[in-house]
Formats: sequence, structure tokens, C-alpha cells
Amino acid sequence: MTPKERFLKRLSGQEADMTPVGCTTAYGVVELMRKCGYERPLADTDPVAMAQLALAGHAVAGFDWIKAMGWDITSVSQALGCSLGEPAIDLQYCIASHPFEQGVDDLECPGDLLSRGRFPAYKEQFRILREVAGNSAVIFGMSEGPFTCAANLVGTTKLLRATMKEPKLVKKTLEVTAEALIKVVNFAFSNGADYFCMADPTSGCDLLNPKAWATFVAPAVKRIVENVSGPVVLHICGNTDKIIPMMCETGIAGISIEEKVDLKQALEAAHSRGVRVFGNVSAKSTLFIGTPEDCYKEAWAALEAGVDFLAPGCGLAPNSPLENILQLRRARDEFFRTA
Amino acid sequence: MPSIEESLKRLHDAVVAFDEDGTVLAAQDYLDEGHEALEGIMRGLAAGMNTVGQLFKSQEYYVPEVLLCAEAMQAGLRVLTPHLRAGQSESRGKIVLGTIQGDVHDIGKNLVKLMLEIAGFTVYDLGVNVAHQTFVDEAARTGADVVGISAMMTTTMMGMKKVIQILREARPEVRILIGGAPVTAEIVKMFKADGYAQSAADVVDAVERVLARETA
Ligand code: B12
Repeated sequence: MTPKERFLKRLSGQEADMTPVGCTTAYGVVELMRKCGYERPLADTDPVAMAQLALAGHAVAGFDWIKAMGWDITSVSQALGCSLGEPAIDLQYCIASHPFEQGVDDLECPGDLLSRGRFPAYKEQFRILREVAGNSAVIFGMSEGPFTCAANLVGTTKLLRATMKEPKLVKKTLEVTAEALIKVVNFAFSNGADYFCMADPTSGCDLLNPKAWATFVAPAVKRIVENVSGPVVLHICGNTDKIIPMMCETGIAGISIEEKVDLKQALEAAHSRGVRVFGNVSAKSTLFIGTPEDCYKEAWAALEAGVDFLAPGCGLAPNSPLENILQLRRARDEFFRTA
Repeated sequence: MPSIEESLKRLHDAVVAFDEDGTVLAAQDYLDEGHEALEGIMRGLAAGMNTVGQLFKSQEYYVPEVLLCAEAMQAGLRVLTPHLRAGQSESRGKIVLGTIQGDVHDIGKNLVKLMLEIAGFTVYDLGVNVAHQTFVDEAARTGADVVGISAMMTTTMMGMKKVIQILREARPEVRILIGGAPVTAEIVKMFKADGYAQSAADVVDAVERVLARETA
């Protein structure tokens, strides 16, 4: 079975010979950049550098699948009008302004969305990735999800408050961000993505009431999933125990979860709804400051628990040691050799 | 007439229920009943916000609820504060607060600010992506007792070490608190900060502790 066949079988719920291993969030790791010779911030905007770093995840870090569309979760917000802060080799692009803080009356999804910001570069990156690895490995696109994008546009505090005081503002903003995401996700699929991961950290339980998740976020995700031409995976940081059942009822193909989540319970909730689980080796602590042995053990535990795709629980911290990351692959290979 | 305990509880409960109008009415009645404004603020409104902090910590409340509780509390403060007696509205200390350079996470920092202001501290909020030297300059300009630094990413967290170094040199008398998701007790030791808090509910305690150590 090629890594691609294995991945696609597993994602659609069919038998696969072993659990795919990789990263469904960002892997802009400094050591990986140094190894392949293509560093961020160049690799944030230049299609060749972006593609080479993406491929290094596959060739050097041992990931079964490949990430397209950069190393941060700001691209859709940028195309909708947010300005970005200065990136550095170990610091991703971040949101520097909230252009709709004063009101969303003028907010709409522009017709030329996909020719704005970094989308033209992503298009070229997809072409390179398809050419080099498209037959053997899965390629995925990624961006921020609808609520995070909405919070970027109007300001996080303002949007959170509005969930209780101005539901109309929240709905209107989410309508536009969902519309933009439908375009962006379909853009990825038409350029060769096999699946798309939306990261929606601002909608997590550290910030938003699960009831508000049901009212506002679930319908937006549902609408996106219903209007795109391929499978969507939803990543939300933090402890998402309380919203996982709802996440799994939006029509998504997979969820991506952190170490704070109760993995057994998440697997049950997901599998009973036909959804696959990516995770959940700690990116914040184990992979970043743990020993290689810690990483191996945590990866092994996730495999033993029956995770569908072995992956970090969140985006890899830029200064994570490559030696730690390689333990994911090692654990997976040895787990299935002994099995 | 209700007892003072009943009236304080009404203030407390209105804040917890994020009932802005209810808080204003409770505050007016409280004054009409002839009670002390200061006690109403401390044992009514601020006590309510403390409960809110606990509810947030135990995930019964989320950030939006906390924001609305704070608005209710502030509405109550607008009624009670003008009735404080001379000297009663004195600040308990000055705190410079900001999110470190390279970091734009501010939800946590804003909650910290809220809790400190409620407890009677004056907070100078420097916002997000604050240059290292700015913490030092602003501490000097304001004569701050405490500097609070927030960092949410492992990369930017390393900058706190730098700020602590230059701050110690320039203003050794200033106490330094750090916080944010990646900050642990080990980091506090490693960076030689004076203290930290894991949740908004514990921030006031942490400030009181570092200030007490200073005068002890
Ligand atoms: C919401 C969020 C965002 C929002 C922020 C909106 C905003 N205005 O703040 C957005 C979407 C913009 C965002 C952007 C990014 N984020 Co972010 N984000 C989060 C998330 C999900 C929640 C943070 C939060 O607000 N928590 C809720 C508040 C209430 O809690 P808190 O911040 O911990 O604060 C409490 C305590 O820590 C303490 N405290 C905080 N500060 C202080 C200060 C003092 C002095 C004291 C005493 C106490 C104290 O009290 C607070 C109140 O209880 C976290 C993951 C998580 N679950 O923690 C990731 C997270 C912080 N983000 C992360 C990343 C990687 C990013 C991005 C790089 C993503 C990207 N662009 O690709 C950018 C970075 C931008 C930048 N340069 O800063 C990572 C950081 C990884 C790491 N450890 O290095 C995290 C941990 C997610 C992960 N990968 O695991 N993010």
C-alpha cells in the first residue's frame, strides 16, 4: 500500500495496513528548514521554498502526507482585509489589524478573493507538489476556520462578547467567512488537495461556551462542508471534550485533537459518527521540550488507544527538535512491526 | 429593610448573573439603605467578580460571560464610586501589563487586567507585541510597583527572560509577574521572575504575594 492509498482508505473508514503518521497542522520547524535549505519567511510566500519545506516534512521528518498553503493560519483573513505582522524564521505570520472592528456593514466576500494575498503563490505550490509527490503521497490544504477568521476581522474580544449581546453581528460575519472558506477550500481541491484542514482555535472551549459553538460555529462548518468537493478535517486547540460530539455532526471527515482531550472518549464519539481522529502527541510540551523517549512513549500510547492518524496535537513549535519529531514515525513503524 | 448581608449578596449575584440593570438597581438600593460604598464595592461587586473568576476556572463560564459580568460590575461601580469617602478610592498599587513582543494573544491578558482593576490596582495596559525595552520605559514613567508580562507562545516566551534581565538592572525594586499558557513554575524559576498565575482567578493573590514579599 502506498502512503497515499493507506491515508485515503483510512480517511474513508476502510481497512488500512497501518496507521498513517504525519502532521495535519503546521510543521514550520526551524531544524527542518535548515536541513532542506528553505527557510521561513521566504517559505511563507515563495512557492518553491514553500513546496520544498513541505516536501521536507515527507522526506526528512517521515510524514506520510504533505501540507500545502504555508505555515500559519492567517491567509483567508489577510485576503479579507487584515494586515499581517512581521514574520521571522521562528515566528509565524500573525494578525496585525482588525479592519471591521467598527462594524461589519461593509464586510463582504470579494469576487477576486483567490487572486489576493498568498493564494496565487499557493496555486503554484500545489502544482509543484502534485508534480513531485502527487501520485505517492496525500497533499492537504489548510487555513483558519470560520470563527477564527471572523474574530480576526472584528477583533476577538468584540466577537466573543457579541456571541451574547449581538448575535446578528456574529451571524453576519460568519456568513461572509463561511462563504470565503467555501471558495478557499474548493480552490485547494481544484488544485490537487486530497483533503482540507480548517483550524479554528478561537472557537475552542478555552474561549467560547459550547452552547455558543452549537449556535454559531456548527452551522458555519456545516455549510462549508456541504458546499465543498472533498473531505474536511477540523482542528481545534485545547480541551475540546465538550464540543467533539457536535464537531462530529457537522459532516466533517476527521477531527484533530490535542493531548488535553480524553482520547478514548473522543474516539468513541467520532467513530460512532463515522469520523476519523488525528492526534494527539503534545506539540506544546512533549515534542517541544520532552526527550525523544517521551515522544516515543506518547506516540505509542496514542497508537495503542487506536488513533486513526498519528499526529502532533497541534501545530509544531518552530524550535522543536527534529529528533523528537522523528519519534512519531519510529513509534508507528515499530508498533506495526510488532503487531 | 434587608440586612446588609442580603444587600451585598444581591450585588454579588447580579454581577455573577451578568445582569447590568440588576446591578445598577442593587447598587442604588444599597446606597439608599445607608450602607458604605466601599464595602459594597469590595464585598459585593468585587466579591461577585471573584466568584466569576472561579466559575471561569472551572469552565462553567467562558470568556464572553466573564466580559459581560465585568460590564455589569463596572455599571455598579459607576453608581457606588462617587460615594466613596476621601482616601477610599486610593489605588492599591501600579501595574504595567502587556503581551510580549512577537505575540498578539491578548484575551488572557485582558482578563488579568480586569481582575486587577477590580481589586483596586491601577493598570497601565501596553497592549500586545510590546517591545522589550518598552516594559522598562513604562515602568520608569509610571513608577510601577509591578510589571506583568504575558506570553502565549514558546518562542515569544523566551523574550520574557530578556525583559526580566533588563528590568532588574534598570529597576531592581519592581516586582515581576509572568503568565500565559506556556508559563509554569519551572519557567518562573528559570527566568527569575517573582511569581505567576495560571488563571485570572489567581492573579490578585499573586500580586498581593509579590508585594508582601517586597515589604516583608
Ligand atoms: C485564541 C488563540 C489565538 C487567537 C488569539 C486572539 C487574541 N486576540 O488573543 C489567534 C487566532 C489570533 C491566534 C493566533 C496565533 N496563535 Co494562538 N491560540 C489561541 C488559543 C486557542 C487560546 C488562547 C486564549 O486566549 N486562551 C484563553 C485565555 C483566557 O487563557 P490564557 O491566555 O492562558 O490566559 C490566562 C492565564 O494564562 C493567565 N495569564 C495570561 N497572561 C498572564 C500574564 C500575567 C502577568 C499573569 C500573572 C497571568 C496571565 O491568566 C489568563 C486568564 O485566566 C491557544 C491555545 C490554548 N488553548 O491555549 C492558541 C496558541 C496560544 N496559539 C498558538 C499559535 C501557534 C498561534 C499562531 C502562531 C498561529 C498562526 N498564525 O499560525 C498565531 C500567533 C500570532 C502571534 N504572533 O501571536 C499556539 C502557541 C504554541 C506555542 N506554545 O508556541 C497555541 C498554544 C496553540 C497550539 N499550537 O497549541 N491564536
